[in-house]
Amino acid sequence: MPIPQQLGKGDRMGRGPYEKSGMLEDTSLPPLRTITTTHDIFFPVKTEEKDGKKVSSISSDTLDLEVRLWYLPFGTMDDDPFLWKEFKKTVKISTTGK
Amino acid sequence: MHLFRTTVLACLALSTFAVAALAAPVGVGRDATLASQPKANSIAELVARYDSSSCIGCHQQAHDEWAKSIHARSIFGTGRTAATFRTAIINGAMDWPASGVKSPKDVKVEHLQGCTKCHLPQLADATDKVAQEIVTTLWDWDAAIKKEDTDKAEKLEKTLSSLNINCLICHNRNAITHKWSEGYPKKDTVYGSKSGEHMDGKFTKMAKGQIMSESIMCGQCHGQGPNFDQENPTQCATGYASYLMAYIPEGGNKSCQQCHMRESKLGHNMQSYRSKEMAQKAVEMHVETNSVYWRDNTTIRPKAAVRIELTNKAGHGIPDG
Repeated sequence: MPIPQQLGKGDRMGRGPYEKSGMLEDTSLPPLRTITTTHDIFFPVKTEEKDGKKVSSISSDTLDLEVRLWYLPFGTMDDDPFLWKEFKKTVKISTTGK
Repeated sequence: MHLFRTTVLACLALSTFAVAALAAPVGVGRDATLASQPKANSIAELVARYDSSSCIGCHQQAHDEWAKSIHARSIFGTGRTAATFRTAIINGAMDWPASGVKSPKDVKVEHLQGCTKCHLPQLADATDKVAQEIVTTLWDWDAAIKKEDTDKAEKLEKTLSSLNINCLICHNRNAITHKWSEGYPKKDTVYGSKSGEHMDGKFTKMAKGQIMSESIMCGQCHGQGPNFDQENPTQCATGYASYLMAYIPEGGNKSCQQCHMRESKLGHNMQSYRSKEMAQKAVEMHVETNSVYWRDNTTIRPKAAVRIELTNKAGHGIPDG
């Protein structure tokens, strides 16, 4: 999102076209470019004591992933959010092996 | 003494002529525009000056498409636009010590131009009475909403909605950007794709508009940053700046009209993200996942590694505000 400067000075964001002049930051998607982000989503893990040692194990070997691209015209999910894209996939982790 | 008095009078006459000449706007043919007519004194007069209803008879499809777009209600919008006009006055003009606005009653055309330069360019052809009428309508509309007087609110909404970017704004008033080289838009002519006679009682001629399919047409309003022509610059959309300074350098070569009118098949119903067609065209999302089982003797950290690629296919940054 372009973060406009307030009245052309300082570090505060302008809110409302009458306040906006200039730009502090622009996190919008640039035209004709691809932006890549990577995210680690951890499987839920439970830890138990076994033979005096703490041992971890996974509760489930599958994880349902949902990736949603939201556009928030007014900055928050409370105000007119727009769901732009959605992706779903179930990821499976191995259960055998050391 | 007589000679002295005559000389003084002659000098005064010459200086008056010089001042008048300096004050007169330049440009040959400016006086033949709709904009140069005596300024409108009421919303009704302004709406009548730019009344596009006679276009519907032959251009029904274009009209119906346009009616679905926000251009058709550029002052009222979704209600939020009208509310922002109020906020701009209350939190803006009334808050600024040198604006001359202590109450809504002090608002003039110049104060509204921060918004109306783009939301209602034809307000420049109106007197301050029209500015006051718009302000009164906005305040009365807000009061009607708060009192839950639906009938009154709807009536005032209709008044505000009558002020919009209609056919004559793009196809006449704003049809020519480079007026000294192309000539001024004539008050009896509509500008589009063809030249010749035009079957309309008021706009009897049509002429080929040189910029109708050029992005500069849209750029007149769709923003390049602070509006430095104003005493207190505003900045709303910056889409055209993004088009010029980011999209074109990246190798883009389409015009606004190509995507927003032709390829989208939306015609005069220009839309942004709220249109399914435009949203699909604008952004591609590609997601790849793989599982990774990090471990040591007792600790495990199994995870899904998610890689998300977002590609902006549009002619400007997304979002742009």
